[in-house]
Amino acid sequence: MRRKRHLLFATFEDFDKARDAVTELKMLDLKEMVVEEIELYSPIEHPEVEEILGDFHQPIQRFTFFGALTGALCAFLLVAAAGQAMFTVQPQGGKPVIPLPPAIVITYEGTILFGVLCTLAGFFIYAGLPRRMKKHYSQKVSEDHIGIEVQMKPEHIEKVRTAFKNSGALEIREVTQ
Amino acid sequence: MSTYSMKDIEWAKINKDVLASLESPRALFWVVLAVCALLVACGVAAEVYQYNEGLGVALMDRPHFWQLYISNFVFWIGMSHSGTLLSAILLLTKADWRKPIYRFAEAMTLFSILTAAIFPVIHLGRVWNMYWVLPYPNERGIWPNFRSPLLWDAAAITTYATSSALFLYVGMIPDLAICRDNAKGWRKKLYTALSMGWMGRASEWMAFRKTYILIACFLVPLAVSVHSIVASDFAMSIMPDWHITSFPPYFVAGALYSGCAAIITLFVMLRYIFKFEAYMTTEIMDKTAKLTFAIAMVWNFLNLGEYASIWYSNDMYEKEVLLSKFFGAYAPVVWGMLICATVAPFAMAFEKFRHNMWAMFWLSLVLQLGMWLERFQIVSPPLASNHEPWTWAVVWPGTVQLTLTAASFGWFTMLFLIFCKIFPSVSMYEVKEMVFHRRHASSRTEMEDIGKIKDEVVRSEEGLA
Repeated sequence: MRRKRHLLFATFEDFDKARDAVTELKMLDLKEMVVEEIELYSPIEHPEVEEILGDFHQPIQRFTFFGALTGALCAFLLVAAAGQAMFTVQPQGGKPVIPLPPAIVITYEGTILFGVLCTLAGFFIYAGLPRRMKKHYSQKVSEDHIGIEVQMKPEHIEKVRTAFKNSGALEIREVTQ
Repeated sequence: MSTYSMKDIEWAKINKDVLASLESPRALFWVVLAVCALLVACGVAAEVYQYNEGLGVALMDRPHFWQLYISNFVFWIGMSHSGTLLSAILLLTKADWRKPIYRFAEAMTLFSILTAAIFPVIHLGRVWNMYWVLPYPNERGIWPNFRSPLLWDAAAITTYATSSALFLYVGMIPDLAICRDNAKGWRKKLYTALSMGWMGRASEWMAFRKTYILIACFLVPLAVSVHSIVASDFAMSIMPDWHITSFPPYFVAGALYSGCAAIITLFVMLRYIFKFEAYMTTEIMDKTAKLTFAIAMVWNFLNLGEYASIWYSNDMYEKEVLLSKFFGAYAPVVWGMLICATVAPFAMAFEKFRHNMWAMFWLSLVLQLGMWLERFQIVSPPLASNHEPWTWAVVWPGTVQLTLTAASFGWFTMLFLIFCKIFPSVSMYEVKEMVFHRRHASSRTEMEDIGKIKDEVVRSEEGLA
């Protein structure tokens, strides 16, 4: 049977207050191992979030690189295969079977097309999309508030709640899943 | 409201204003939409007529196999350039003034490509054989000939349309989530499906930003390659006035120029119809106009360079075509182009003019007319006086071609307006970012000013002592 998850979801007026809350939770965690998982929700991107939540390992550029490489190879093979197939049915008049200048153009386009498609695939994988909406998701987060979701053991709920309150949380929701 | 006071807009108000644009546009929206639908209906009728009677009704005969359909194709491909290309370049250079206007510019790109893609099909005549350009094993045993620049076109445009659509879609996901949170009925279902469960989690934002920048990096060279390839349709031939080395950069500059002019037209239109006065400000118009002016000058340089290289080459065929362009039957087109695209942009050198929205609107239409004439004078006049004198003939486009041209403008505007009615045409999250950063920058400046005043007070007190 799956273990029940205990979550607290709090909303804050601005990013600075949310950052204070996360810092306080991290301090608490250092002392007593209170926090199991923290997730931050915001209406805009805050690159500085990595400083407080740690690095996000999202090597999307690898998808881009290998996608582009695959695209280049596939496009070149397509031109080569088409040239080879045409060779058997149409006289070439001394021209090369696989014409290189056109092959470069098609290879270039294939590189970009596959590169973009694979980058997008990487995005969906690392962003975890598509996914179901969480029941405790607050619409305010898409408007002007910052949300923090913390997963912890039931005995630590009150400590986290106090940390949220101290940092000026506007609303705190308790969720058990 | 100026850009500099945009820092005072509340985030909730940004959501409210942009979401309101999806519900209640000005009455002009419906009038324009109805006119566009009428134009499209006329275009469909013209195409059905041409389909039944053959390409002869479009007055396409030797030597004029290429005429208005190809001019329109080049024009619409060109217009598609500025949206995605400028959005990507400005994103990579972190120019924050792009934020309120990039969404509609990217949508403009997508719908321009969709409009452009119609013309090769119409031009083909035998519409039902269009699928022959696709490379697949077939019973005919014949593959598309990749030596032809027309096939390069097919590859480039497919890639550009796909990548631009994905760039537009990815950039819209956070806004689709905002729409989902505030919508009801069919809109709620649509936005829920398209936003794919986006909740603004930190990991989503990180992946989003990385992806957005990576795709932008691909789109910049792609956009340049697409119009270079369209230029190759002409430059790879041996026709006088087409076989020119500088055609690719000339086409790219022309594409950027007409695209920027189209951005200005749509900027003023959306600002009025959807009441975006607080976001599409005179300062942003000023920057867009300056950029358009700079690109206009680049295009003029390349245009004059092309004339000069033909003149000094002393190639008799090239010179003959050039002279016939300026003094022959097509002279009104060439002089019209020069007035609209070379002389008219100088109006943008004046700040007062750049800050007048309606003046910019009419000027942008003049610039687009100039660029449309440019496409026509590239395609038609050389066919009228090429290497073989027995093929010389002046042919003007007939009613069918002109109707389909007008319909293409209706088609583009109709798709664009429908898009703006369903999807947010101003990026809410990016405008919020702009407001956030400007607010922080201004509070930093205030703090620095207070620090300086304190230092001065301390210094003067020390002096007094």
